[in-house]
Amino acid sequence: MKTGQMKIQQMAFMLIAITLFFALVAIFVISFKYSGLKQSAMELEEENAMMLVTKLANSPEFSCGESFGETKINCIDENKVMALKENPAYSEFWKVSNIEIRKIYPKTEEKICDSGNYPNCNIIKMYQKEISGFDASNFVSLCRKESVDGETYDKCELAKMMISYEKK
Amino acid sequence: MTRKFKNAQEEMVGFAVIIIIVAVVLVVFLGFSLKNKQEKVESYEVDSFIQSFLQYTTSCEDNFEYRSVQDLIFDCSNKKTCSGGEDSCEVLDSELTGILEESWKVEEGTLAKGYELKIMFNEEEMLSIEKGNATQNSRGASQDFFKTGNSVKIFFTVYT
Repeated sequence: MKTGQMKIQQMAFMLIAITLFFALVAIFVISFKYSGLKQSAMELEEENAMMLVTKLANSPEFSCGESFGETKINCIDENKVMALKENPAYSEFWKVSNIEIRKIYPKTEEKICDSGNYPNCNIIKMYQKEISGFDASNFVSLCRKESVDGETYDKCELAKMMISYEKK
Repeated sequence: MTRKFKNAQEEMVGFAVIIIIVAVVLVVFLGFSLKNKQEKVESYEVDSFIQSFLQYTTSCEDNFEYRSVQDLIFDCSNKKTCSGGEDSCEVLDSELTGILEESWKVEEGTLAKGYELKIMFNEEEMLSIEKGNATQNSRGASQDFFKTGNSVKIFFTVYT
């Protein structure tokens, strides 16, 4: 083999090696960037789901309005929810599979609310279905009018509103 | 032969230099990326949590009504006592501790590895509750409000 041919072969090998090296670097950088993008997308989706919960909590059907003093954000009127519960007119109204409100604090024994045990219960299920599909939850304040010795006062507890929905 | 060997050596050195430069660029890139990942993330969930616990009705009653956490912060700053004789600051502390323990469980296998709640009244620390470990990944939110010229700032961070 002549020296010229050797040089060309050497250069070809060198070019292949450098191309491979840069291709590997590019794959590494792209995969790194892509994993970050995936994470951001997941966080955004999670936030959107939570915003859907907040949107529901602040809708006129759920929100406290001005029943408990000034207008409150993320505040659910428990009496309203109990009145709406199992109302057939609202079964398809919110376009979600299920809505559940679970009291977090003060902690009490798990008991599903119905007209017989309310307000001595801690889980309000809007529909008697199990949570299915995708779900999202967010913190809310669950308020109702309570009465002690004939005097009425506002009682707000900490709860989590959970919704489940089918992905389109 | 010696000349050929020298040429090969030079080419190897050139290739090594390229690899070193690319490695340095990669290390710098990785360093920046990891640094960004350790930043605190503003969380919508934590923000909702603060808004919700501020409305919580505590067991502290004054002559007219049961006080919310938000009211109790101002009562505590004025060193007020509840009608039952309890110190408003102690009630605030115990209620918030209970709320945090039930809302953010710091246990093996749970998402939250720790949390930190800080309430500042007129730029001075009024209350601080911490639990678990402060890891590099966190999500947090803050909220401030004013009443009769006094400012309250609430910071809450959850370490995951």
